[in-house]
Amino acid sequence: MRIRSSQDFAAGLLLLAFGVAGLWIGADYPMGTAQRPGTGVLPMILSWCLIGTGVLLWIKTAVAGSARLTPWAWRPAILVSLATVAFALLVDRLGLVGTMIVSMTLTALGTPDTRWREYLVFALLMLALGVGLFIYALGMPIPALPAGSQWN
Amino acid sequence: MELAGLLANLGLGFSVAVSLQNLLWCLAGAVIGTCIGVLPGVGPVATMALLLPVTYLLPAEGALIMLAGIYYGAQYGGSTTAILVNLPGESSSVVTTLDGYQMARQGRAGPALAIAALGSFFAGCVATVAIALAAPPLTRLAQQFTPPDYFSLMTLGLVFAIVLARGSVLKAFGMVFLGMLLGLIGTDVNTGNLRYTFGISDLFDGIGFVPLAMGVFGVAEIIANLTNPERGELASSKVSGLLPTREDVKRSIAPIVRGTVLGGLLGILPGGGAILASFSAYTLEKKVSRTPEKFGTGMIEGVAAPESANNAAAQTSFIPMLTLGIPSNAVMAMMIGGMMIHGIVPGPQVMEQRPGLFWGMIVSMWFGNLMLIVLNLPLIGIWVRLLLVPYRLLAIAILFFCSIGVYSLNNSANEVLMIAVFGLFGYLLMKLDFEPAPLLLGFLLGPMMEVYMRRTMLLSRGDPWVFLQRPLSLCFLVLAALLLVFVVLPNVRQAREAAFRE
Repeated sequence: MRIRSSQDFAAGLLLLAFGVAGLWIGADYPMGTAQRPGTGVLPMILSWCLIGTGVLLWIKTAVAGSARLTPWAWRPAILVSLATVAFALLVDRLGLVGTMIVSMTLTALGTPDTRWREYLVFALLMLALGVGLFIYALGMPIPALPAGSQWN
Repeated sequence: MELAGLLANLGLGFSVAVSLQNLLWCLAGAVIGTCIGVLPGVGPVATMALLLPVTYLLPAEGALIMLAGIYYGAQYGGSTTAILVNLPGESSSVVTTLDGYQMARQGRAGPALAIAALGSFFAGCVATVAIALAAPPLTRLAQQFTPPDYFSLMTLGLVFAIVLARGSVLKAFGMVFLGMLLGLIGTDVNTGNLRYTFGISDLFDGIGFVPLAMGVFGVAEIIANLTNPERGELASSKVSGLLPTREDVKRSIAPIVRGTVLGGLLGILPGGGAILASFSAYTLEKKVSRTPEKFGTGMIEGVAAPESANNAAAQTSFIPMLTLGIPSNAVMAMMIGGMMIHGIVPGPQVMEQRPGLFWGMIVSMWFGNLMLIVLNLPLIGIWVRLLLVPYRLLAIAILFFCSIGVYSLNNSANEVLMIAVFGLFGYLLMKLDFEPAPLLLGFLLGPMMEVYMRRTMLLSRGDPWVFLQRPLSLCFLVLAALLLVFVVLPNVRQAREAAFRE
């Protein structure tokens, strides 16, 4: 069996990585006394628990095997994340309308079965809803259009 | 005295719940809940996370009444999709697809929907009374808890979450530990030291509950759903003849009662909730049936029992949250998030300090169930039409509401960045077959447990044996240990796997 494609091997690796990182970064957190446990006590315990669980998962994989990893959905994963990141980066600069156009289009690009004409109509509806609900009705302090534009 | 007190409490709750404003919020919750219940791929956890920022604008009573309505409303809506499209609208309706869809194909969608709604209504009424009865004594008990008792109770809660999680026990352990570790990020409240912040100032207050929940439950779901766009076939777009026959009703009564009792009991357990309840109720019906081989071919018992059970469990899972302040599943974690937004510290003191809120919410559940039965039976046609909206458009809308919802919490674009990070992380967890719910519970309970652990150690002058010397604490820990031993025993493990596989 190819270890690298095993689901549980990867799962164990993830837990181990967090455990080791938790120990490493938390190494200099003060431990305090038994009566007054310090900042570092629980992180250390939890990190060791994570390492232990990861190792047990590896042992279980070696003994009993595990399901294989299914293929990654790269396109939706990357584009949905990009759409969210774009929202975060643009909302303070570009105003709501521009941000929504960029972010929604990125999501649509990440969708395998987008129909662009349908998307266009839907996007216009969402824009109206977004501006109407969040800016006019709820009064959120986001400009609809970029700051400094003469439409504001 | 007990009965008079109960009536007085319910009267107070009634007066709160019946106010026009609160009735409206209850209706809003029920409508939203039905809506997302019908839509596959949109769950109550993500929706509540999405609406948490909005509840900030409402009074505390209205906010919690609405959030609660979303959860039990979703249980009603989920059955519609399960029966008509053979897709679970909610994960707690998975088993309803087995017999419900078969009934729809035989042209009996109407009776299936009606029995599901009536069973849910019955279960909802019983569960509301159960909460009202169980809450005061449990609250009184909880007021005597000392720090070690709380610590051990939370340990027990996490063990339950592990035992009742789907899939591998080891992985559920990993999720709880990881969640607790993530919960510790930020400033240590006792000492003021920073932990795992990497100098990023947005992390000094810790990871926000809303961005974490939205990322792991909302964004990750979108990514996964876009990959394999499941589209079922509508069994019939027109539902005619809602009325079940006399025979249907007669066959459903016993399963509804059994489902309600079983679901109500399982709902109280930490880590339990609607999903486990519906699976167990279906298995139980199959066991007691004289014709178990007919299940899966359109048996009305297979619709009645799990649908009653999931609604009963959805409601009784409020009991530990309301009385002890401990979330028993991810949805209750959201309710606690909603309380904290309004400055209410969940725990036994809520019932005394905010009796109007406490009893108003309980009574509102009964109103909510009444509204839901009206919403779901005569108006079923409207909800069916929702299913015609393709997921590719839903995904765009959900992602937008997630982003702007998180942004509006603190007007912070950085928190929106966090949902992107947690979304990818949540997708990774899904691919590795980790359940995200134990992660979220660990995240909430980890920091609370640290506080109680420190208080205990301070009071006992550094003696850790105190956890085993306090009778209540000892009970909880022994119970937790027994559960763990129990779950690794081979035959129990097989039964557990079989129950989840059905």
